[in-house]
Amino acid sequence: MGVRDSHGEATGTPDPVEKGFATLNTIRIGVKAMVQKDGELRKAEILSIKQRKDGPAFYVHYVDFNKRLDEWVPASRIDLTQEVEWPQPEKPEKKKTGPGNKAPSKNPQKRARADSRDVSVTPDLLSGKNANIAKAQRPSKAGGKENRGDETPANLSFLGSADGTPKVESEDVDMVDASASEAKGAKEEDKTTGMMSREEELERLRTGGSMTQNPTEIHRVRNLNRLQMGKFEVEPWYFSPYPASFSDVDMVYIDEFCLSYFDNQRAFERHRAKCTLVHPPGNEIYRDDYISFFEVDGRRQRTWCRNLCLLSKLFLDHKTLYYDVDPFLFYCMCSRDETGCHLVGYFSKEKDSAEGYNLACILTLPQYQRRGYGRLLISFSYELSKREGKLGSPEKPLSDLGLLGYRQYWRETLVELLMEPGRESISENELAILTSMTEKDVHETLVVLNMLRYHKGNWVIVLTDAVVEEQKKRLEKEKVKGARKIDPARLQWKPPVFTASSRTWNW
Amino acid sequence: MTRYGGMGRTRPKKLTSKASIPIIRETDIDIIEDEIQGLQQIETGVEKAEESVSLPTPVGSRDTRPQPIEIHLQAAINASARGKINDAHIPTPETVLSNLRYDELYPPVFSQPATYVRFSSTVEDCCGCPYNMTDEDDVFLKILNQKLGPSARCSEDDFEEVMYFFEETAQTHQPFAAVDSPPVLSYAEMEQSMDAAVEVSVKRFAKDVYDHWKSRRMTTGNRSLLPSLKFETGQDTDDTDPYVCFRRREVRQVRKTRGRDAQSAEKLRRLRKELEDARQLVAYVRQRELARKEMLNTEHQIYMQRSEVKEMKRKLAIKDDDEDLINQKPKKKPAEAPTVQRPSAPQLRMPPKLGAQGAEDLQLLEEVQAEKENEILLDIKQNIAKHIAWNEGYVDFTRAPLSPSPERTFEAAFRPAITTQLPTPPSSDTSEHRLDSVMDTKVPSFQDQLARTMEISEDTSRIPSFRRRVGRGGRLMIDRRNFASRRAEMDPIKADRYKYDDEDSDDEPLFDRSRYDIHIMQHRAIMAAKARDQAVAHAQAQVHAVQAQQRRFQVDHGTPNNGPPNMGHATGSNSGPGAAAVTTET
Repeated sequence: MGVRDSHGEATGTPDPVEKGFATLNTIRIGVKAMVQKDGELRKAEILSIKQRKDGPAFYVHYVDFNKRLDEWVPASRIDLTQEVEWPQPEKPEKKKTGPGNKAPSKNPQKRARADSRDVSVTPDLLSGKNANIAKAQRPSKAGGKENRGDETPANLSFLGSADGTPKVESEDVDMVDASASEAKGAKEEDKTTGMMSREEELERLRTGGSMTQNPTEIHRVRNLNRLQMGKFEVEPWYFSPYPASFSDVDMVYIDEFCLSYFDNQRAFERHRAKCTLVHPPGNEIYRDDYISFFEVDGRRQRTWCRNLCLLSKLFLDHKTLYYDVDPFLFYCMCSRDETGCHLVGYFSKEKDSAEGYNLACILTLPQYQRRGYGRLLISFSYELSKREGKLGSPEKPLSDLGLLGYRQYWRETLVELLMEPGRESISENELAILTSMTEKDVHETLVVLNMLRYHKGNWVIVLTDAVVEEQKKRLEKEKVKGARKIDPARLQWKPPVFTASSRTWNW
Repeated sequence: MTRYGGMGRTRPKKLTSKASIPIIRETDIDIIEDEIQGLQQIETGVEKAEESVSLPTPVGSRDTRPQPIEIHLQAAINASARGKINDAHIPTPETVLSNLRYDELYPPVFSQPATYVRFSSTVEDCCGCPYNMTDEDDVFLKILNQKLGPSARCSEDDFEEVMYFFEETAQTHQPFAAVDSPPVLSYAEMEQSMDAAVEVSVKRFAKDVYDHWKSRRMTTGNRSLLPSLKFETGQDTDDTDPYVCFRRREVRQVRKTRGRDAQSAEKLRRLRKELEDARQLVAYVRQRELARKEMLNTEHQIYMQRSEVKEMKRKLAIKDDDEDLINQKPKKKPAEAPTVQRPSAPQLRMPPKLGAQGAEDLQLLEEVQAEKENEILLDIKQNIAKHIAWNEGYVDFTRAPLSPSPERTFEAAFRPAITTQLPTPPSSDTSEHRLDSVMDTKVPSFQDQLARTMEISEDTSRIPSFRRRVGRGGRLMIDRRNFASRRAEMDPIKADRYKYDDEDSDDEPLFDRSRYDIHIMQHRAIMAAKARDQAVAHAQAQVHAVQAQQRRFQVDHGTPNNGPPNMGHATGSNSGPGAAAVTTET
């Protein structure tokens, strides 16, 4: 794969951006155009195009917005009166792939590089390597005629680039099928850096044990349209590898308790008539008036945990389902009523984390977000760490929401400790032990809050007015609304012990 | 950057995690101080990186190029930095209440147990038949049921069972149907796999439903009707296919070394052995069970034959009880002895005596014991005779001859008065292991003293001695010599004190000064005589004990030669105390 110049354009590196006017016919995948969003124009990248009854629809990603806001827009929302940015042409000297290889210089077709929206926008750290995937041919100056491929179904458009490319020799477009081209590339040219790193990525994923993102990231377009779960209808945020056929239906039905998925309402209702599960299939380890926590072992409840992961992948960009659920425990928070224990959120935790993470993935289901559940989940994860007698930290990278949630928790936890009456000094280590946070997290939180300062030759922790004020407000609010906290006394849990064999992957 | 920038200020001290940091309020410090400004700048710099990637980045593993931060996250972080937590909000797609008939689909069946829930059933356990009818199936089923009529209608559950059976069978027969697209499994093949495990209802409706299933399979390209995830297929495309999920993770590669090879070879060998053992065990069990079966067969045969005997007896009008119809297990052992003693006892006439047999047994045991005892005594006598035979023609110069003649011992003119230890009274030894210690320690210690007597006798002229004479008229006289007249020195009471002194110590330091005191000498003489008598008695008792032991032994083990090696010698001591000397001196 000769495309290695992927990153950077969007980040403002000085690659010259080719601009020009486009028509609906010349717009193709990779083009960045201005699109109407909430009453304003925003630059957006076209990720997929499909033909609908009422004309073409474009799947757009708004630059500098989170992927979860990507959407299908009709042509009318694209402002073609402004110039569009064409995808970065491929560097010819690197373009040597393909069996019937033409000399690069002779290659008349400039290879369009899939412009890395992902690089530019998400904090996805792997993204830079994936530029080849959504590669589309940049239209030649003649424009227009290559566009007939645009009827590509959405879920294929980023795979089958042949549709979107001009009629050129097949070897020139081979890179879209990554593995095939990779094989060719490996044979015929020395491995490009990108390929190396890709393989390294794969290797690292294989051996790394962390649920990081699928490196190939082909799944740039959401595959499910809507989700029915419990009393709610939810809009998925990201791609999740549900059966491919599910992308064809308008609504996917999720059983609230067993998390099974159905593309047919009748089948779902039939299933509900038979399903007897009324809570996560594990042991309840915490219960208060408000919520319950269930501990579910990925190894013993493989189906349920897979269902959970598929579901949560819809809302977690950084999650990968690349590997199976065996090495994880799932701590599921539920609210109870007379129909059962409804999953509100969960976090997963490696049975044996080499890096000392106390949490791998964390999610509050969208229908329950912004109600303080995330904080309870985080708090519970630290409560488990306290019980284990360990310091812990969440696995990285954090999503934007995760980062905010954690920062808030850290801030509140530390400020509460620091404001305890009679406390005149404390070390970072003590703070870490009291909270089960790592010293690094403690330190960074203090720094971020601008509380750790160097004053007259000594380090001091400054309780800033803002922080004090916030804490006061919080306490008042808690007085009115009642504090929702994890009560350690109600936690009936001993750190589970796993033998080496049960941690391995034997099925 | 004022502070670190070489403005003449000192560099900040290194902050260690263990260092205690004072906590102060903002009002306590001078805000204008430029240090703060400087630090703030630096930290915002750090934070910038954090905000984008570096905070969540594991060391060195990822691309750390600075990346622009998403607008909403940036806004939220800035808002929270300014203390406006409520503004720190990232927009997400909204969720709405569904118009699903929730209450129908999720009946209120949950009652919370008092204790925490413990649960281990899987989703599969809880969901019944995995196949769920679709609208298409509904239509078909309606038509089918019209055809079948109300009496034989196919319920939805039955229908699902049938469909699931087809799906499952197809999956087992054509596991790679999705890849190599073989023709849809024929009904004949389906029928073949209907075994006993398949429910009756499935068999009943299978034929009716098959065509429907087949047509549905055809429309999907002979893929499974159940929506399924994509798992690894082992193909190259797996890695890049975003739909492939939940891969099996390879076990971490372990470094290959010679030791590891040997280890795994050893493990395999052990495994093999264990399996082999298990197999062997099962084989043995099988063998045992076969034997048992054989036995049962034989018993049955015996019983049948007995019943024939009975029949015959009836026919022949022989009158007796049913003795020969049952197994007479207890007869087996006694049966041996009586046959030896009364070989002529005819079986058929035995029964009346059966009750008395127990008593006979006891008697018999005693007889056997007596017999064994006789044997032992005989053995002892033989041993003695053997010894005499060995010693014939030899002069016995051993210090303690085999059987010293009592005359000679007491004929000795003067016996030196040796202080001897008071012999321990014979312990009541009954247990077997006491025997050895008695033989090895008690008797020899006495014998030692006798031997010492002999040794020192060369020197008798110097130590006090005495002799006993019987004078005329039966007077008993004791002559003594070499007595130092030191009687004044020893208070008789004091001397008496020593009488009961402990006898455990082998040396006799307490007697040193009063050694030749007349009282003590007298006492000693008496005690020595007593001790001798006691020793004799003791030895005899031991012999008896030994014999008893041996008897017991023989009874236990059946053979008289099985005893401990020194037993043969010990039996020789039957004749007197001197005999005991043999055991130790030779």
